[in-house]
Amino acid sequence: MPASGDFEAFVPAGLASMGIEADEVELAVMRAMHETYWPAMAGFLDLDLSDVDPEPMADMSQAPQ
Amino acid sequence: MTLLDRPLAEQASAIASGEADAAELLDETLTRIEGRNPAVNAVVETFPDHSREMLEAAPEGPMHGVPVVIKDEWALPWRAQRFGAVELFSAVGPGESGPYRALRDVGAVIAGVANMHEWGASSTGNVSVYGPARNPWDTDRCPGGSSSGSGAAVGARIVAGAVGADGIGSIRYPAAYCGVTGLKPTFGRSAMQGHHLEGSQMIVSGPLCSDAEGCRLLGSALFGEQLERGDPSGLRIGTVAAIADDSAEPVRAACEEAIEALRDETGASVREIELPGVELSGLAAVLVATSEGLNGVTPSKLNEMSPEIGPINRGIAKYRMLMPGSVLERGRAIRTMMRRTLAAAFADVDLIAWPTVPAVAPPLTEPMVELPSGVHTADAVNPRGGGLANLIGIPAVSVPVGFDDGLPIGLQLQAPWGADALLLDAAEAIERATERRFVDAVAPVAQSTEAQAPHS
Repeated sequence: MPASGDFEAFVPAGLASMGIEADEVELAVMRAMHETYWPAMAGFLDLDLSDVDPEPMADMSQAPQ
Repeated sequence: MTLLDRPLAEQASAIASGEADAAELLDETLTRIEGRNPAVNAVVETFPDHSREMLEAAPEGPMHGVPVVIKDEWALPWRAQRFGAVELFSAVGPGESGPYRALRDVGAVIAGVANMHEWGASSTGNVSVYGPARNPWDTDRCPGGSSSGSGAAVGARIVAGAVGADGIGSIRYPAAYCGVTGLKPTFGRSAMQGHHLEGSQMIVSGPLCSDAEGCRLLGSALFGEQLERGDPSGLRIGTVAAIADDSAEPVRAACEEAIEALRDETGASVREIELPGVELSGLAAVLVATSEGLNGVTPSKLNEMSPEIGPINRGIAKYRMLMPGSVLERGRAIRTMMRRTLAAAFADVDLIAWPTVPAVAPPLTEPMVELPSGVHTADAVNPRGGGLANLIGIPAVSVPVGFDDGLPIGLQLQAPWGADALLLDAAEAIERATERRFVDAVAPVAQSTEAQAPHS
């Protein structure tokens, strides 16, 4: 997985690139979020979903056609 | 015990038959809010004049004169929603939201606005611009979120019915934590007009009531069509070890017992089923909801956020902006995969059952839960069981089925798209099988008409 797993390499630079300001408390929250969720999100990127064909015009109120 | 302590359908029936006076019931509700609400902070605003005007204009509908509260997620003609926060990213104002119209058109009376977790962003309900709502079974515990006030108001018997909203379990978590019944409708069936996240394919309005019949009555109002009672005989029930096994033992045991009771009551069959990928559905739901929530959010809006927004939500809002598109796209692909997986599963079973949440309500100050897999934040594990229904659009209900150390346990039943009424049939069957001892149990806060101060 890319360096996104490294909070220091990913989050401050990402915020800076978008011009988003964050104080220490917000960064601490983001660090906790990153540590909690990033490993699972990285796992998503490792999944082979190539056989999942798109569902065009998916209607969530009904079963897939 | 007064009529206000009775289930929603009994209140409606008593008013319709002339046994009860709707104006007196509304006055009693407002008095009860004044007396009991300080212990749970479930109702954040009342407007007696508007409530009385609603009653005076109420049609002779199926909920004529019945008082309910509505989550702070929808506009009323006299009040804009605040979404539990000091500000929203979307422009909002007073108006006739879909749930308001639905309630008005069946003759219901909105007695107050229910608290909710700030921005709807947690399963706990422990952060709100109004201060947290509290669990009526233990006021030091979380009421569940994000429909925290709706669950706490019904659990405290302040009202017998409340309107909530469910984007990732937000009706079912507070229903489970507060010992009430909560229905997450099939996507698109219940009134949603005027919601500030217009275009969401995750969020639905729905009822939280003291029992399933109340959910049928209030749900029918929100659906704009009658949720007819059916015969649940011969149900085929599927259980999923991948979700149920990582639950606190008392929760797992109570849910298994309730499933057995449902089986015996309805002549059902129960079998273990596999749902490949189900363990991915919670995070996938969070990702899809994240992408929906980013709509209209810009770096400048984030930089201008009020410092009165809680620090957790400020951090989360900014972190969400960094989500790689590839990850969000994976969430959508998993949604597609799980829709097909569940459509196939529902060819073999009518209902899928597992614990609504894996542990009972955690402390407000530290919402952590201990599971066989370890200690987790409640928010990290609750979407495992709660996210699937939102992700793919199916209906789900949380039914009270037991207690662990005095705190309620909820069983979640999920059904195919459009089978909302079947869920209520099954919930009513569980109530019969358990002789209503869980839906009729009275929380400590409701055992006295006197307000009880929070423990802390």
